[in-house]
Amino acid sequence: MNLKRHLALTRAGIMESLQYRLGTAVTLFANLIYLVLVYFLWKAIYASAGTDVVNGMTFTDTMIYLILATALFNFLEMFVVWDMSRSIQSGKIILDLLKPMRFREYTFWSYSGSHVVLFALTFIPTFIVVLIVTHGAIPMGLNLLWFAVATVLALIVNFSMEMIVATICLYTESTWGINIVKETIVLLLSGASIPLAFFPEALRQVVDYLPFRAVYDIPLTILLEKNDTNTIEGLLPMFGLQLAWALILTLAGTLFWNHSVKKITVNGG
Amino acid sequence: MENAIVMKNVCKDFKILNRHEGLKGSIRDLFSRDYKTISAVKDVSLEIGKGEIIGYLGPNGAGKSTTIKMMTGVLEPTSGDILVNGVVPYKERTKNSEHIGVVFGQRSQLWWSLPLIESFRLLRDIYMVPKKEYEEMLELYRSLVDIEPILHKPVRQMSLGQRTLSDILAAFLHNPAIVFLDEPTIGLDVSMKSKIRDLIKGLNQEKNTTVILTTHDMGDVDALCKRIVIIDEGKKIYDNDIDHLKTYFGSYRTLRMRLSDDTWEERVIDETKEDVMQVILQKQKEQKIKDIQLQEISTEEVIKKIYEGGN
Repeated sequence: MNLKRHLALTRAGIMESLQYRLGTAVTLFANLIYLVLVYFLWKAIYASAGTDVVNGMTFTDTMIYLILATALFNFLEMFVVWDMSRSIQSGKIILDLLKPMRFREYTFWSYSGSHVVLFALTFIPTFIVVLIVTHGAIPMGLNLLWFAVATVLALIVNFSMEMIVATICLYTESTWGINIVKETIVLLLSGASIPLAFFPEALRQVVDYLPFRAVYDIPLTILLEKNDTNTIEGLLPMFGLQLAWALILTLAGTLFWNHSVKKITVNGG
Repeated sequence: MENAIVMKNVCKDFKILNRHEGLKGSIRDLFSRDYKTISAVKDVSLEIGKGEIIGYLGPNGAGKSTTIKMMTGVLEPTSGDILVNGVVPYKERTKNSEHIGVVFGQRSQLWWSLPLIESFRLLRDIYMVPKKEYEEMLELYRSLVDIEPILHKPVRQMSLGQRTLSDILAAFLHNPAIVFLDEPTIGLDVSMKSKIRDLIKGLNQEKNTTVILTTHDMGDVDALCKRIVIIDEGKKIYDNDIDHLKTYFGSYRTLRMRLSDDTWEERVIDETKEDVMQVILQKQKEQKIKDIQLQEISTEEVIKKIYEGGN
């Protein structure tokens, strides 16, 4: 592992992302609209519930969770599946396959730069606004460090899921449907659109062990110090789950890719 | 001469689903196990020496790209052996990639929104080129082409010619032993074509880089290649010097004579059977000849004849 070449890819990714500032601004604006919608939706839900606390969460808890989930989503969202299907169709993938790095590594580090930019431009500002508006509802201690660690693991789990779906698309040669299914499943089961606390108990118990949760729910739970994550006993199972899925999915994805890449017949030329 | 590439009896088959037409056919295809096998490359053996520039020719769909993809390690041959710089490419694609460079005419490996120099820096780091060698390479580039105007230009703002030029420079940047150029001059104007040919020739001479050039432009072949390999329907049908190619169908030349009434008479002469001088003398006896021209058969004409299946 030579860090210099990886960081060179990160650097290029940062520079490339910064070229598209208008795109970032539009994303921020679209989020604002989405968040207004979320606000009124949940306000109505709480109003009809008739109590201040639903499933152990107050309205403010839910809003903080969902706003931060959206911010996290903006920064973790990847387009590996889209990009890969496009580069297979155009045949450009051959140029990426012929880089002197493992394709998976090359892809991951190529995306890393845009995550850095989006983290700075979407997550940090949202986080600061939430912090100011809620007057300290977010604890400011070691949890920030654990959150950073959890986010990196979340990124790896998310990337692995993307790569597996992208590999499936090598066979199907169509991407749209599969990608939509994947996105919906991830958004629902990861806690990005509805806090997992609102899930029915039976479903919750299954979801708790699935990899999707490792992407959004775990980093947020740790950031907000819920479920005893301010103690080692609470923290370890979270990291354990993330780490386990990161390893399993990376391994499975690598094997699947290595097996499948031989089947690609790059078009044209 | 040491060999850069050795291919022995290489075959490549593809399994393709037999598609049926119409809506009914499409639904049937969902469950179909009806595959047919297509042989894209059939028993090709080839040795390419270090520092050679090889013209790798063939009509569309002949199996050129498939061969190149096997040489680069993207495709695994169905049978046969390939060694590139002593490495089996499909087994060690990453290692093989360190010593090859590729340019695929219509696609760019450059970072679209960044200035060219950033792509160069990035490639330098990815290929781990020592700083000194990188600087030397840029110096060499400067001596061969005027790169200053494009060096700080974002790739997306470049003309096709500039972009192709940049892609070729990018492919040579890590001083690879072999560079694959797949239709590098496609879509370029005459002046840019000649610039690119000079550049390829210059880099080949300076760095002793082996160049595998596929093209449909016989101007490229005439300007660059001593040796050409022609493949058709997956089989190698010609592998020899370019000079030898002209005698592939016999030594034909076209003799044109301007007669006393200012009309041109044209005769194709097979020099193994007739002597040009004899033909002229014969004619002179009948009529006064004001002017004569003797034309070599062009590479393009020979290649066209070969593609069309001989005589």
